[in-house]
Amino acid sequence: MSVATPQMPQCWRRETKAHKFCPGCGHGLVLKALGEAIDELGIQDKIVFGCDIGCSLLAWDFFNVDTVQTHHGRTTPVITGIKRANEDVIGIAYMGDGGGYAIGSQHLVNAASRNEKITVILVNNTNYGMTGGQMAPTTLPDQKTETSPYGRDVKDTGNPTQGPEMVAAITPESAYVARGTVSNVRQLKKYIKRALENQISGNGFSFVEALSGCPTNWRTNAAETWKFIDKAMPEYFKVGEIKVPSEKKEG
Amino acid sequence: MTEKPIQGEKRVFMTGNEVVAWAALAANAEIMYGYPITPQNEIMHYWTRLAPKHGRKFLQTEDEISAGFTTVGGVLAGRRSFTATAGPGNTLMQEALSMAEMMRIPIVQVVTQRGGPSTATVIYSQQEVTMTCFGGNGEGARIVYSTSTHQELYDYTIKAFNTAWKYRFPTHVLGDGYQSKMRESLTMYDPEARGIDMVPTEPYVGNEGTPGVDRDPNHLRNTYNTEDELYDVVTNLMSDWEKYAPEIAEYQEYDVEDADVLIIAHGVVTRAAQAAINELRAQGKKVGHFRPVTLRPIAEEQLRKRVEQAKSVLVVESAYGQLRKILDNALYGLTTPITNFFKPGEGVTADEVVEEVNKLL
Amino acid sequence: MVRTSNIFKSCFTGLFKHSSNKNYFLENNNFEVRKIEGRIIEAYIGEYASGKSENAINRAVELREQGRKVTLVDLDLVEPFYTLRPLKKQLEELGINVIAWETRETMGLGEAGSILKPEMKWVLRREYDIILDIGYGVEGAKTFNLIEGAADNKELKIFAVVNTSRPMTASVEDIVEYVERLGKVDGLINNTHLGDETDWDIIEEGAEIISEVSKELDIPVIYTAADEKLKDMGIATDKQGIPVKYIHRYMPHSFW
Repeated sequence: MSVATPQMPQCWRRETKAHKFCPGCGHGLVLKALGEAIDELGIQDKIVFGCDIGCSLLAWDFFNVDTVQTHHGRTTPVITGIKRANEDVIGIAYMGDGGGYAIGSQHLVNAASRNEKITVILVNNTNYGMTGGQMAPTTLPDQKTETSPYGRDVKDTGNPTQGPEMVAAITPESAYVARGTVSNVRQLKKYIKRALENQISGNGFSFVEALSGCPTNWRTNAAETWKFIDKAMPEYFKVGEIKVPSEKKEG
Repeated sequence: MTEKPIQGEKRVFMTGNEVVAWAALAANAEIMYGYPITPQNEIMHYWTRLAPKHGRKFLQTEDEISAGFTTVGGVLAGRRSFTATAGPGNTLMQEALSMAEMMRIPIVQVVTQRGGPSTATVIYSQQEVTMTCFGGNGEGARIVYSTSTHQELYDYTIKAFNTAWKYRFPTHVLGDGYQSKMRESLTMYDPEARGIDMVPTEPYVGNEGTPGVDRDPNHLRNTYNTEDELYDVVTNLMSDWEKYAPEIAEYQEYDVEDADVLIIAHGVVTRAAQAAINELRAQGKKVGHFRPVTLRPIAEEQLRKRVEQAKSVLVVESAYGQLRKILDNALYGLTTPITNFFKPGEGVTADEVVEEVNKLL
Repeated sequence: MVRTSNIFKSCFTGLFKHSSNKNYFLENNNFEVRKIEGRIIEAYIGEYASGKSENAINRAVELREQGRKVTLVDLDLVEPFYTLRPLKKQLEELGINVIAWETRETMGLGEAGSILKPEMKWVLRREYDIILDIGYGVEGAKTFNLIEGAADNKELKIFAVVNTSRPMTASVEDIVEYVERLGKVDGLINNTHLGDETDWDIIEEGAEIISEVSKELDIPVIYTAADEKLKDMGIATDKQGIPVKYIHRYMPHSFW
């Protein structure tokens, strides 16, 4: 009797599976979408994949591609540095909401502004997962975290950051910006593919935020996790393409 | 008026991180700025839970660069402000600390050392000594306390605010990941109940009165135009620092009078050193421990005296020569042979120290 | 100044020596907390550093001593590196199945490594006894959401461990407020102590406070924990009538 193995992207590294993400984590789904996109575009040999500090760093040996784990928030500049020095590379900067919108925000803003030919994929799970669930820029109003034990007070700490909207506002027309969700992996893959195509064609900056789940720190069971991703998060984070170079957007 | 968080004194059991949060409360610290980084997160977790009950404030900033500068801001506003960090976060704070050094801004920074360099481990080391003492682009006009017990974490966190505000230098409490997570008992107290008066604070900006009318405006800066201007500024700064250094320097001695082998170690390694000495002395061996409590300024005179008396010195640290470098500077000219026992990123046990000392006897 | 007051005990001596002394098994205190048919499934929860892990480990060892098969689970989600992990081998040698991250397994990169092991999620599906050590966190008992089947499990007993020497759980009001936030709690455990300097007075003070809490919340106190070093005094129940359980301290060996 043979054991059926799940369908894995070709560019995934088998030796490091089963992966180390928590059960129920959204990263596995995002990386699957990314893996399939890489396969379909046939660019496995050109990818350089950078990951941040936080749960994203668990992806460092995930693929059969060259990777570099950087410092917190510094994935964008490292990948920018690599890409500018070697334009043949397809640079992917993979990070979480803290690495992108807090400590890495200045790099994100500037890379976007300069229209760097890199692809940033940001996984948004509304908290700092790896360090134990502290508040993040995308924490929802009244959401309890370790550093907002009484709930996030938006009068004090502002509203959840809308990253893709900001990136869309500061980039030129040739940038691609979208927000997907792990509850629609097919759509997410399509966005990631378009993002990578934007880089391959030398057009400009590309940015995809993926709404994702963190049942471990949210302390939610399966049903509640999906409810949070499907109902609560989209109230603040609209899913869809936000900026598409000279093409009709998909909402 | 909210009642005091700690009244009188009481004996409690907790982890090092919690101790720091409670001590800051007891010292009337008003605001903490911070950013998540292991292993100091619980300082923030506890502060965010306790602060609202006592009218104190908190902001999680976008990163440690901001945490450092917002803390500078808190001090400029005349409030006791502090921050806490480790490793790469400490690296990021150096810019703000440079500004604090230049402008004599009394910020209090708690460092819970983790492995280095770069991300390394989240657990423990003594590898942030150089950075905490000399990390900015200046001469290191800072004060650094290296604690070894929870009682000291409590005492010196309170003291750090007083030292900072009295002498107007950035002051650091240098702990480590083990101290942060270890559990032990200590006595928490209201400083007033022990006759400790908290050094009053005063604003650098935003004082009463209209500038130009009731008072002169406060124009603060850290930039200068010419070389000779800077020469004056820095020599004044360092001569002040050197003037106060003897009052600020602290040390502890353990069985040093007749010691043939002198162990020099700081922070949590003190425990292993002194436990080893207990064992060795019971065997009639003459070993002692000189412990710098302040790494900056180091108690140079007393250190030199003890090193000169000893036949040999053993430097023990969980780093690769960071304490040794400071010692070399202080001991210049002395000829007592020095042996190193370096364990970067790893804890040191009493057994290991015993073994190393035996090699020297 | 020859020697400062000797507050530096040999904390670090012998830590790397493997404890092969078998006498640390508990003697059965000859009281049955409850008669249980079937599995024993207990969760030890409580405030940060309240003593959950120590009590959970002792319980697992106790059950093993009785010849039962036990799985011990480390569910400390906020600082997973600092609890059971270092003791895993030692406990496995006693025949206890331990589910905790092992140092080498956990990537070792950056912050703390991943937090929840898949085996932890499905642990209630295992046969035999299960002892859960539930780490602290702002959402407290919602951690049970992460364990499949915990919500409906009839056998699961949840015990809140309290050390009144810790300032956030020092008064009756604070403890009541804290326990109420934990959701369903089946029992309280008085784990009041001050580390090495604990004496009976301190333990009794804690017992008194926790008994008050017990009356107010109508939740029984399961036992009062005491370091086995205090065993010589032969005390079997404290002044509140709560049975005393002597525990061996494993946790000081858990760092590095």
